[in-house]
Amino acid sequence: MDPATSRPAVVIDNGTGYSKMGFSGNVEPCFIVPTVVAANESFLNQPRISTKSSNWLSQHSAGVMADLDFFIGDEAFSRSRSSNTYNLSYPIKHGQVVNWDAMERFWQQCIFNYLRCDPEDHYFLLTESPHTPPESRECTGEIMFETFNVPGLYIAVQPVLALAAGYTTSKCEMTGVVVDVGDGGTHVVPVAEGYVIGSSIGSIPIAGKDVTLFVQQLMRERGEKIPPEDSFEVARKVKENYCYTCSDIVEAFNKHDKEPSKYVKQWRGTKPKTGAPYTCDVGYERFLGPEVFFNPEIYRMDFTTPLPDVIDKCIQSAPIDTRRALYKNIVLSGGSTMFKGFHKRLKRDLKKIVDVRVLASEARLGGEIKAKQVEVNVASHPIQRYAVWFGGSILASTPEFFEACNFSSFYYILHAFACHTKSEYEEYGASICRTNPVFKGMY
Amino acid sequence: MGFRGHRRAGGSISVFFRRLTSSSSEKPSPEQEISMILLQSHSRFLLQALSNRVHNVEKGVEVDYQWVEFDDVRYHVQVVSMKNPHIVLLSVCLPTPPPETAFPGGLPLGAIEAIKATYGVVVQILDPPRDGFNLTLKINLSKLPPDEEFKQSLLVKIASIREVVLGAPLRAVLKRLCSRTMTPDVNQLIALVHRPNEAFFVIPQVEKVIVVYPMRFSDMIDTVLATSFLQEFVEARRTAGLNNAPSCTWSSSPPLELKKAPPEALSANAGFVSFVIFPRHVEGRKLDRTVWSLSTFHAYVSYHVKCSEGFMHTRMRRRVESMIQALDRAKPEGDKAKRSPNSRSFKRLSLKDARTNSNT
Repeated sequence: MDPATSRPAVVIDNGTGYSKMGFSGNVEPCFIVPTVVAANESFLNQPRISTKSSNWLSQHSAGVMADLDFFIGDEAFSRSRSSNTYNLSYPIKHGQVVNWDAMERFWQQCIFNYLRCDPEDHYFLLTESPHTPPESRECTGEIMFETFNVPGLYIAVQPVLALAAGYTTSKCEMTGVVVDVGDGGTHVVPVAEGYVIGSSIGSIPIAGKDVTLFVQQLMRERGEKIPPEDSFEVARKVKENYCYTCSDIVEAFNKHDKEPSKYVKQWRGTKPKTGAPYTCDVGYERFLGPEVFFNPEIYRMDFTTPLPDVIDKCIQSAPIDTRRALYKNIVLSGGSTMFKGFHKRLKRDLKKIVDVRVLASEARLGGEIKAKQVEVNVASHPIQRYAVWFGGSILASTPEFFEACNFSSFYYILHAFACHTKSEYEEYGASICRTNPVFKGMY
Repeated sequence: MGFRGHRRAGGSISVFFRRLTSSSSEKPSPEQEISMILLQSHSRFLLQALSNRVHNVEKGVEVDYQWVEFDDVRYHVQVVSMKNPHIVLLSVCLPTPPPETAFPGGLPLGAIEAIKATYGVVVQILDPPRDGFNLTLKINLSKLPPDEEFKQSLLVKIASIREVVLGAPLRAVLKRLCSRTMTPDVNQLIALVHRPNEAFFVIPQVEKVIVVYPMRFSDMIDTVLATSFLQEFVEARRTAGLNNAPSCTWSSSPPLELKKAPPEALSANAGFVSFVIFPRHVEGRKLDRTVWSLSTFHAYVSYHVKCSEGFMHTRMRRRVESMIQALDRAKPEGDKAKRSPNSRSFKRLSLKDARTNSNT
């Protein structure tokens, strides 16, 4: 028996902003680190080291080992701030890996330094966004099998894992719409019986990073005294700590104006160069930040479709027999859905659109035929932030995960199941990773 | 084409040996600042979990995690009841020892004494251990020293439980070397576990201790890289600055010291590495570091072999890019204009193409 199947699989969810990594069977990931690499790029142009200087050995080592001279996550931020030799790079943009060197190093550190596991001992479950091209999957497979010698690999689509997290109903429901609002992009993905309805995937170019930029912009326009090099970080922390979703903008403005002491918060920080403390006010951006999802025109002129409209359009483009089930199970995932009141607002706005349409169709039929009410449910749960990781953890702890053959079982997505094994990789090459059966559905 | 990996071997051995020989002053050398080179002795996640518990002992957060470290060391940490949030149960499962090295009483020789000596009253050994684990400890966080620095260093020590338990027999041998005492096991071959079903060998003598590792790798490419790496390792030891480091030899056949070892232990597809440790390598603070470095030598080599592969991939990608650029330059002007967006042969991936090609 393959000993790797008796050990928990390693589940790594690489997102644009944060990477969540841990072992299957656990409720929470072991580490949630920002997806950033601070590398010492000086070795690329290293000339031949002369042996004349006295500590040539240390120079030699630093030059030769400089490819290991890098940091990831929060350490990367602090190192790049404290010294000039490190350049920050973000290997994932908008959900896609753009810098494979940095990504390989990122995984290397995740495996050896953070998780401290031997990659040859564990099956791996990685995730990808629904728009990932097949070449990207090949590159991932290549890195995992060639560099790390993993015994088996499954690349899961993030929205399907969010559904597998199963917190909507007591029975794991594999039909629903996953609204995944991460740092790099927002995707609305309808999934029917475990198969992604590829043609109906909707996305909007507004995500967590845009909310942060908007908050930063508002604070700058108001003239808050924040040191410029820190302003993005401060905006991000303000967003994470103080932002909430209001039910109505006008009402929110009124509340803030009437009782500033209750609604306006203070942010305390220290200037990095001098160490002097400063405070700034956090006011309207508390509710204006998340408002960009419902009224994008306050943030950018070129995109004006609110999120509830996009969800509605996406469901309407799905096959007609799935629509009621999709409305009934709208699942939120991703860090940027954690704003207080987000799901209530989304449900309310979506229900309005649906009700208007139902009434219009009844009016057209002269009131003779009354349609059954469409139930709209938006599910929210405290583990939303790493729902995808949690779904992966659940999935990788089922015994069927390890089997390479297709299998229909309790988890419907298993008829899309193919865990790529190293022996298959050695036989057929990286192209086995190209297709993800989840897309080969009936739709 | 020079194998840059050879110079990498030189770099990594110098760091490895510097860790063994550097004086006990606190200032890290420039190489040690590159913390990604060496494997740390404490478990990062365990330290994080314990620190979080210590700082949030009032909040009723459930703690129940299981994870696995390299060499098949499994951990389980749990806060049993919310009524006693400062009691944490930590269970450790060690790699299965090969037949010639069974653990007496389920734990390596001297592990229990080492635990009591290192942790004192904060930690209590529970008997019997949790099902499926070799050792279960009850950690009482309220008994941690109040001083922040001591508390943190004790937490780091608890997170290094693996080093304390698995390294106990080796530590005992090296401590005796430090005091240069005659012991009954002089010139005896001692087999110690470092990986599942694999052991390395220690031959204690009065003036020195010889440590021999049979190096085995399961993947063919890893084996080739490791063999080359280890040979360079030995070469690099001869550089001037490393005179104080333990001497190191590599041979493809079992060295003489192993003639009494059982034959199954002598198959090694990447040769045998021997170190000779002298008392100066285990004085004072260096003892802990030497124990850790020697206990995890195979993992260290395996880590660096994988880093070398990653490094070679980086260089291969760079080479491919430069060749693509040369090819693109060679195309006549007309062809370049005619190249349609769908011809993928030499095109760099871009998001625009990705959207059209996904889900095919």
